Amino acid sequence: MRDVAIIGVGIIPFGRRDEDSLLDMLAYASLKALDDAGIGDQGVDAVYVANMGAGILQHQTSVASALVDRLSLMPAAADAVENGPASGASAIKNGLLAVASGYYDTVLVAGGEKMREVVGWKATDFVATMTHPEVEYPYGITLPGMAGMFTRLYMEKYGLTQEQLMAVAIKNQKMGTLNPYAHVDMIITREGIQESPDAVVNNPVAADPLHFYDMCPVSDGAAAVILCPAEKAKEISQNTPVIIAGFGQATDTHTLQEREDPTNLKAVTLAAKQAFKMANLTPNDVDVAELHDAFTVLEIAESEHVGFFKKGEGGKAAEKGETTLTGKIPINVSGGLKARGHPVGATGVAQVVEIVFQLRHALDKNRQVKNAKVGFTLNFGGFGNNVVAFVLRRSE
Amino acid sequence: MKRELRITAYKCKACGRIHYPYHDRCLSCQNREFESIKPEGDPRLLTYTQIFNLPWGFDVRFLVIGVVEFANGVKSMGQIHVDSIDKLELGMSLKASWEPIRVVSGEDVFGLVLRPN
Repeated sequence: MRDVAIIGVGIIPFGRRDEDSLLDMLAYASLKALDDAGIGDQGVDAVYVANMGAGILQHQTSVASALVDRLSLMPAAADAVENGPASGASAIKNGLLAVASGYYDTVLVAGGEKMREVVGWKATDFVATMTHPEVEYPYGITLPGMAGMFTRLYMEKYGLTQEQLMAVAIKNQKMGTLNPYAHVDMIITREGIQESPDAVVNNPVAADPLHFYDMCPVSDGAAAVILCPAEKAKEISQNTPVIIAGFGQATDTHTLQEREDPTNLKAVTLAAKQAFKMANLTPNDVDVAELHDAFTVLEIAESEHVGFFKKGEGGKAAEKGETTLTGKIPINVSGGLKARGHPVGATGVAQVVEIVFQLRHALDKNRQVKNAKVGFTLNFGGFGNNVVAFVLRRSE
Repeated sequence: MKRELRITAYKCKACGRIHYPYHDRCLSCQNREFESIKPEGDPRLLTYTQIFNLPWGFDVRFLVIGVVEFANGVKSMGQIHVDSIDKLELGMSLKASWEPIRVVSGEDVFGLVLRPN
């Protein structure tokens, strides 16, 4: 197997993009990645497109074929990859394996989703189609609802508090204001969302015990990366290559009710372990991480299951500031899903794009983790039933 | 008329693990033979939530949804009919019934409905 490098990245601002179709967004991000790699006038061997819902939301299928046509990349091989909200990381994994095997040399991976053109209940319903079609979905359960039930158990077992959840929301929204690609550009305060008389209106219960500001927004957006063999990275591109040093993917039961301990996110632990083992690194080696904070509770629970903190310590660490830009392990300094937004098919790719920016040392001082050499991403599909992790390393 | 709970769970004939929903192979030992069982006894509340942003098909202001475990180990999700979530606590016993949980194309869809005793 060959080492694989990321030599180009592209991302467009997430948010509500009424003027752009799904294909527009995928094309914009892909062109940025091709140009960033310095191969904007060339072809690629293969294209993987991560998308979860175009068939439902846009009544459009075969988006990979459509993107290849749009970008005039024929006759490149093209596949769409769907793994719920972890589609992005799954698509990168497919690209990684294709290059590592020696079959392809240059691969474009793009992820995108257009969720804001439908009304709220339709977007909620679309995401809820990930739940079990017979024993969960008919009851009206949503992903926020799954997170609410998980949070209640986590609070009971580990003493997780509303204040700890709030620390994540406040941190990530603050960091989002510094990220030009973030959907949410608004600082929130503890007073505004908990302590003032208006807090009950500002931050109502959404999925008890989770509140409005524990949730990520519903977003439009796209992101893309270009992969090539590490040994050819410097021939092809002038960028500092970022090596995909390790990846892991693991699954768990479809329903939460069939897990022996529903607070134990086994797929997260396994995916992270595999990624660290392949990279021959440990959680202690990570300088910056992007975790899948679709709900604030997930950033905390994942930080524990990945191995950054012991079980029950992640919430306390967040409250003490250990996950801020200058903390022990900076988490989601992009703003995370909470502030950058969560166009589901794009998220896993956007996480990797952010880590590449960090490892290139290409960000403004107020968002750059100083001298970052190793990064980690975790993309969480379903409610933890299909998880993909990457360890990325700056190539010196 | 009280309707029977139309829940069928599957007990592995090799290791005894109870499954709901159906799996083709046991989640613990991969055995393929199961005994069909019905939930027995009053269910106990394992976790719950109250959601306000509802998906398609619900003409109500909110839903209270929980996961319960019956006395014989069968676990299921259900809608909890309660006027205030403050009346619920983890581990409490609930009464189970089989009632409409939503309407699709003008037809009632039935499922597990739970109420405090």
